[in-house]
Amino acid sequence: MKYRLIRTISGRGQEPDQFTETLRGIAVDSDGRVFAVGDSAVRVFQADGRLLHTWSTSSPGYCIAIASNGHVYVGLAGQIEIYEADGTPITAWRDEQHLGLVTAIGFANTSVLAADANARCIRRLGPNGKLLNTIGDDNRRSGFLIPNGVIDFAVDRTGTIHAANPGCHRVERFAIDGTRLGHFGRFDGQDPSGFSGCCNPTNVAVDDRGRIFVTEKAGPRAKVYDSDGALLSVVADSQFELACKNMDLAVDSKGQVYVADTVKLQILVFAPQAEPAAAGNTAAPSEGDESR
Amino acid sequence: MSEGITRREAMGHAARGLAAIGLGVTAFHLIRKADGQIVWQLDHSRCVNSRLGAVGVNTCNLCTSECVVAQSAVRAVNDFSKCGRCYICPAYYNVTSAVDESGLPSEKLCPRDAITRTMIGDADPEDPANNFYEYVIDETKCDGCGKCVMGCKEPAGLGSIRLAVRHDLCVDCNRCAIAMACPDDAFTQASVAEAFERLETKGGT
Amino acid sequence: MIAARRFTALVITILLATTLWASSAFGQPAPYDRPVDAAPQAKDIGGGYTTPDVQKPLPRSYWLEALDVALLATAMILVSWLVLKKRNRTWLVLVTIGCLGYFGFYREGCVCPIGSIQNVVVALTDPEYSIPILVTALFFLPLFMALFVGRAFCGGVCPLGAIQELVLLKPVRVPRRLDRTLGLLKYVYLGLAIWYAAQPIADRDFVICRFDPFVSIFRRTGFAHMIGIGIGLLALSMFVGRPYCRYLCPYGGLLSWCTRFANRGVTITPDKEIDCGLCADACPYGAIEQNRAVRRSCLYCARCYASCPRTGPSMPTVRGKAVAASDGGRS
Repeated sequence: MKYRLIRTISGRGQEPDQFTETLRGIAVDSDGRVFAVGDSAVRVFQADGRLLHTWSTSSPGYCIAIASNGHVYVGLAGQIEIYEADGTPITAWRDEQHLGLVTAIGFANTSVLAADANARCIRRLGPNGKLLNTIGDDNRRSGFLIPNGVIDFAVDRTGTIHAANPGCHRVERFAIDGTRLGHFGRFDGQDPSGFSGCCNPTNVAVDDRGRIFVTEKAGPRAKVYDSDGALLSVVADSQFELACKNMDLAVDSKGQVYVADTVKLQILVFAPQAEPAAAGNTAAPSEGDESR
Repeated sequence: MSEGITRREAMGHAARGLAAIGLGVTAFHLIRKADGQIVWQLDHSRCVNSRLGAVGVNTCNLCTSECVVAQSAVRAVNDFSKCGRCYICPAYYNVTSAVDESGLPSEKLCPRDAITRTMIGDADPEDPANNFYEYVIDETKCDGCGKCVMGCKEPAGLGSIRLAVRHDLCVDCNRCAIAMACPDDAFTQASVAEAFERLETKGGT
Repeated sequence: MIAARRFTALVITILLATTLWASSAFGQPAPYDRPVDAAPQAKDIGGGYTTPDVQKPLPRSYWLEALDVALLATAMILVSWLVLKKRNRTWLVLVTIGCLGYFGFYREGCVCPIGSIQNVVVALTDPEYSIPILVTALFFLPLFMALFVGRAFCGGVCPLGAIQELVLLKPVRVPRRLDRTLGLLKYVYLGLAIWYAAQPIADRDFVICRFDPFVSIFRRTGFAHMIGIGIGLLALSMFVGRPYCRYLCPYGGLLSWCTRFANRGVTITPDKEIDCGLCADACPYGAIEQNRAVRRSCLYCARCYASCPRTGPSMPTVRGKAVAASDGGRS
C-alpha cells in the first residue's frame, strides 16, 4: 500500500487561511472538514482546502479534537476551550494543576481524555470537566518520557488509548481506567519499522479499522502500523521540511491521512493509492509493500 | 643637586620629561576608554552546528581545524538544564548505525570518545528505556569538532550541547583564526562584562 | 635616582588604576531561543539527583592577567638592576630563561608588547574598539622604561628576544653599513603594522601577530610556513645576534627611539677602561662603537661586562652622567 500527496491546505503567511507562527493540531470531522489550530486561532477548511470559517482562541492552542456531538475541543495551556462547530464558545475548563499544557484530546464513551504535557500523563475528565482519574503516571519515571515537549494519543473505537511514549520509542496502550494493556515499537535507525532518533514517535492517530498512524521527527516521516504493531507502510518521508517536529496528524473515514507540516504551516493530505475501497481489514497487510 | 646640572643635561631632562608626558597622555587617553578584559566568544545562535533551522547540512569543524591552540580552545559543553537525558542520545550514538543485540545503536558519534553515559535518578532496572541518562563531555578529550552539537540540535534533540570558547585555553589572538574562517560570523569579541556564552545560570529556563 | 622614583611611582599608579577597573559581573543571556523547554529537571529524575552546573570555561582570572603585567614590570626592573648595578650576566641569563619559560612557553607568547602596538593603533583610530587596560599597560611600560634606562625589556624579558639570545653560539660581525640598512627594515615593518591596523574593521589586519616568527614554536603548533620561518630565524640567530630584534622588530623601533631620551643605560666607563676593546668584540649586536655603548641598539645582554677584565661586583658603581651626555651627542 502506497500513499500519494493529493493536496496541501493552508501555509505560512498573512492571508486569512494561513498561519503566521505555529500549526499545532489538526482534526477531521465525519463530513471531511479539516479543523486546524495554530497561533491563537482555529481555522476550518472544506475537504478541498477552502477556508470555511475561523475564530480566535484565548491563548495559543496546542491541539484540537471533535466530539461525536460535533463540539470542538481545543487544548491550551491550563485549560480546554469548547466551541460549537461554527465557533460559538460553549464553555472552558480551567485547571492549571491538572491541565498544565493540553497537547492532545480524545473521547471515550462519556469521558474526555486530555494529555497534560507538564505532568507527563493523561487526565480522564467527566463530561462536565471533572477529573476522574490519571493515566500513565504509574511507572518508575512517573509518566511519559517526552523530550519533544508534547504527549499525543489517540482513542480507537473500542476505547483503548494509544499513546506515544517517544523517549522509550514506543506506542503504549491503556484502558481508560489507567490499566496498561501493552505496547509496541522499538528503536531502529535503519529499518523503517522501528522508531528512529532520540524520541519517536511524536504523534499518533487511529482510524476506524484500528490501524495506528504515527509521525516521527528527524527525519520527519509518517507511517502506518496495524493494530498488532507491524509496519504496513511509510505514508510519507520526503515531503516534509527537515526541521519539522511534533507534526500532528489525523485520518478521515476514507483513509486519507492529514499531516501538519510544522515549518511550512501546511496540512498535507495523503490518499492511499490503488487500494480496493471495499477491502477488508486483512487486505492491507497482505499487500506486503513495506519498503519505500 | 641642581647646581651640578649642565645645560646639556637640563635639555636631556626636559626632552625626557616631554616624551614621558606625551606617552602618559596617550596612555591616559587609552585607559579612559579602555575595557577590563576582552574575550572571543562563540554565538551559538549563529553557529551552523547549533543554529535553529539549519537542518540537513554538514557539520562544520572549522573550530577544530583553524584554532592556533594545539587542541582547539573551542569545546562542546552540555547545558544539563536543557538536556533531555534521552535513552538514546543522538549526540552520543550514531543513530543511523545498525542496532546491536541490546537494541541500541552499535556506533558512537564522538570520534574521540569524549562523552560518557550514566543512568541517573531512581533507576528502573527492568526497563532501561524508561530511564534518564546523563551525558557528560570530557573537556580534556573534546576538540570541538561539533558532531555532537549537530546531533543534539533541534529537532533531533533539544539543542543542549553547544560549542563554547574555553577561555582558559584561548590565547585571545588579535586576529582569531576561527573568526576569520567562520562562515557564519559566529565568533565575536566582547568584553567580559558583556560576554554571554558562559552565563546561562544553573537550571535557567 | 629621582627618575627611578618617579618611574616606580608611575608603575604603581598604573597598576592601581588597572586593578580598580576590575570587571563587573556577567550579565546578558545568550540570544538563543528554544521552542520547547522539555528537559526533565531534578524533581522528575529523582533519586537525589541534582542538575550539574553547566561547564563554564572561564577566562584567566583578572588577577592572573594583572600578574602578567606586574611580572613584566618586575622582570624589567630586575634586568636593569642586574645589568646596570650588578653587571652580572649569569643572573641575567637565569632571568632570561625564566622569562622565556613564562612569557614564551607558558603564556604562549601572547602577553606581548610587540603585538600591542596594533591594539593601541586600533584603539586610537577606531572609537568603537576598546582596548583592555592591561594591554595598554603592556604597551607603555617598556617604553617608559626605555625612556629612563634603555631597552631593558629586550634584555631578557621579551620571549622573542630571549629565545634568540639563548641560541646564540658564534656571533658573526655584521658590516656596519649592512647593519644600519637592515635596521631600517623594522621601521618599514612598523609602518606596515600601523597601516594595516588603522584600516576599517573589514580590512583590518594584525600583521605582527600573523608573522610572529616564534609564536608557533612557543605553542608547538601553527602554520608550516611560520614554523619554517621560526626555525630558520633561530638557526640564523646562532650566528647573527638576534636578527629579529635588530632588523625586524617594530617595537624595537619604538624602543630605540625612546632610548634617545634615556639618562641611564649600559655604559663603558671612561675613567676605568683600558681601551682593550674586549667589550666591543664581545658585543654580538654591534652596539659598541669606538668603545662606547650605543643605547638605541644595546640589547642589555651584559656580555660587555662579562668580558671586561675590570668589571665585577667589587667595582664601584659608576654614574653615567658624562657618558650619557657623550652618547647622546653622537646619536
